[in-house]
Amino acid sequence: MKRRSRTYRVALGVVALGVALAVILAPGWSLAGPAAPKLLNAVKWDYPPKFNNVTVTVVGDAGHNLKPYEFWKDHFAKAGITVKIVEIPFEGVYEKEKTEFVAGTGAFDVVTFYPAFIGDFASNGYLEPLDTLMNKQPASVWNPNQADVLPPFRELYNKWGGKTYALTIDGDVLIMIYRKDLFEDAGEKAAFRAKYNKDLRPPETWDDWLQVGAFFTRKKGQKLAGKVLERDFYGSAEFAKRGFSFAWFVDRWAATGELYFDQNMVPRVNSPAAVNALQNFVDSLKNAPPDVRGYGYDELRDALIKGNVAMVVQWTDVPKKGADPSESQVVGKLGVGRVPGLSIGGRVNHRAMMPVGRVVAVAASSKNKDAAYWVAKHVAYDTSLENVSTFLTGLDSYRASHLAHPEAYTMFKNAAEARVYLDGLKVALADGYPEIFIPGAAQYEDALDLHVNKALAGQETPKQALDAVAQEWNAITQRLGQQKQVELWRQALKSYQALGLVK
Amino acid sequence: MATKARRQPLVVEAVRKKPWRLLRPPVLMAFPAVAVLLGITIFPLLYVLRLTVVSWELTTGFPAQFVGLQNFVRALTDPRFWNAMKNTGTLVVAGVGLQAVLGTGLALELNRIRRSRTLLMSLLLIPTMIAPVIAGFQFRMIYHDQFGPLNYLFEVITGGRFRGYAWLASPPVALWAVMWTDVWQWTPFMAVLVLAGLQAIPSELLEAAEVDGATGSQTVWRVVLPILLPVITIGTLIRLMDTFKLFDIVYQLTGGGPGNVTETIAYYTYLQGFKFFSLGYTAAMAFLQLIVITIVAQRFLHYQERVRGGVAV
Repeated sequence: MKRRSRTYRVALGVVALGVALAVILAPGWSLAGPAAPKLLNAVKWDYPPKFNNVTVTVVGDAGHNLKPYEFWKDHFAKAGITVKIVEIPFEGVYEKEKTEFVAGTGAFDVVTFYPAFIGDFASNGYLEPLDTLMNKQPASVWNPNQADVLPPFRELYNKWGGKTYALTIDGDVLIMIYRKDLFEDAGEKAAFRAKYNKDLRPPETWDDWLQVGAFFTRKKGQKLAGKVLERDFYGSAEFAKRGFSFAWFVDRWAATGELYFDQNMVPRVNSPAAVNALQNFVDSLKNAPPDVRGYGYDELRDALIKGNVAMVVQWTDVPKKGADPSESQVVGKLGVGRVPGLSIGGRVNHRAMMPVGRVVAVAASSKNKDAAYWVAKHVAYDTSLENVSTFLTGLDSYRASHLAHPEAYTMFKNAAEARVYLDGLKVALADGYPEIFIPGAAQYEDALDLHVNKALAGQETPKQALDAVAQEWNAITQRLGQQKQVELWRQALKSYQALGLVK
Repeated sequence: MATKARRQPLVVEAVRKKPWRLLRPPVLMAFPAVAVLLGITIFPLLYVLRLTVVSWELTTGFPAQFVGLQNFVRALTDPRFWNAMKNTGTLVVAGVGLQAVLGTGLALELNRIRRSRTLLMSLLLIPTMIAPVIAGFQFRMIYHDQFGPLNYLFEVITGGRFRGYAWLASPPVALWAVMWTDVWQWTPFMAVLVLAGLQAIPSELLEAAEVDGATGSQTVWRVVLPILLPVITIGTLIRLMDTFKLFDIVYQLTGGGPGNVTETIAYYTYLQGFKFFSLGYTAAMAFLQLIVITIVAQRFLHYQERVRGGVAV
């Protein structure tokens, strides 16, 4: 009996081992890390004088956006630097970094964070000002060529109080992505003209967005571009899950020219224009998949690239994913355009939110500031074209030079297709509109997101939702210290003005 | 008892007369345990208690300021706090209730099976071994409106009349979808607990019931369940305290949305503590939760005492 039991256990072990090996060795699985992108040498850079085998600890959100430190680890080794990577889940980056800063552990040298927190980190003295390091000679080693960085990222997300504290590595901005095959289909064009007495084209305004969205929303069994649908199809989809749904509201509102607060930090978020913008967002859900309120980045991306919706507003890396045949069912069928706008005085104003994004900075507590800075600069400038033009990362373009090299974006069928993508990007980046980035950003944005989400869920009307936001924003400002918050906001306003976002 | 009463003053007196006795090996050996207890339980508790009376907003860099009971007042007048408490209450009452009922039913069925019971029990326990965050991820897939197996099943069963339902995005249903994930994961735990209780029932009792002519259901209702009540009560209490802290599944499935229909008190406390770094307010909320959970646990233990004493049976 005992022997039988042992034989049974051995057999079970062998089977388990076999299954594990089969899974590991199966096609598509690899124990090796991903290859680095080819070095394009678009930028002239040099190694610094060799460091004495220092270790630089880099912290950032886990996954593909930390890959550049692996791609270029040979470069760091040649510079006498060992890079140690600390990965944190996407949602936990701020809390982890803030906790370490407050505790003064000095655990990190290079911190990757979302620029909405630059006000918090820089004003509390956690970050090293970079201006001196950036001006060191020779320039080919130390200068990150900030003039090449597109203005919204450079002025709003890298600077605080006139000093540079961070370097952009991910130029997140929202862009409209649509199924150009549907917009170009002769049958659809004729049907649209017959129904609305105008040409079918990608929406220019948010009212168009609703109209085109309604037009393309079809039931299973109906026809779309001449083919019978095997499942329901939707005109548009939104990021309507808690977290960043507020950004899809601000897209609709910011084009009015109103800012989050006035000079004295009185909230302007419940203006009539803002209420209309939120109403438009609520109305758009009628043309979206039924579980759109659960859509975050992944679901929204998949809805488009799995061929479920006609158009979305999304981050700029999605067209790159849409060109990857291993993931996408709409390869070659995507077009990009400006985030829709608002028609004011006969002119359409566009604004595209810049939610998330990533910047790198040197921790004030770092013991190897020069080495840490060089690591940050190497990823943010020297190798940045390689880092943003590969589908191995989720990093997006943020420099003028990134937009001048379509040949680098090899995931597209050809350079011409990449050019179209980059042209769309260029326009979207010019419309860039920042998150709230003063200290307390997390609280202000959470309050906005909660009530926007309540309006989307039908728990509050748009007016009730935005009135509640205004009330909560006032309470947050008072809790954090009215006087200091007003000072910080006025400082932020100067950046907005420098960029022409407000007069 | 008498020995204990005599010994205690003697020890105290001995230490008072010769304090160096504290340095004797037996006392020294107990010291690390006491230090650990003080360090990781008592000190943090007192520290959090101190935090409840200060306003400390880490995002501003201002030092902590004494505000008395303001943090408690803020919590008790915060509609979001009450909404989170209500959601948590629903999950506790309905979710844990279901786990108790289903777990007990499952245990009774398993108890009847002779062969393969261990194998079945091991398989049933798999959900409890999965990290809640993974369970949340699995259920996000299962509930997916377009590609999820749940909607596919409904579509097949209803011949296409019911399809594409948004389980996690529909405000009236989302909280129940979260609850089912928790029920799926933890019902086996209740089943194991109750099964252990069942197996401890002396067979003479059941035989006596049979001899007395009790039917199967009479035996279950009049003999088995009353004996199992203390076990079920303890199991329910453990699950209740755990569900009160439900965070991972909410975080993974809904992030508290749509709106705030699935925001639990643990999730809201996390937001205040680790997203907004509002330390005083977070501490006050944590203390209020501690009070609630202590009262509930007290009631449960009191009930269990009565059951064991034969009053409630």
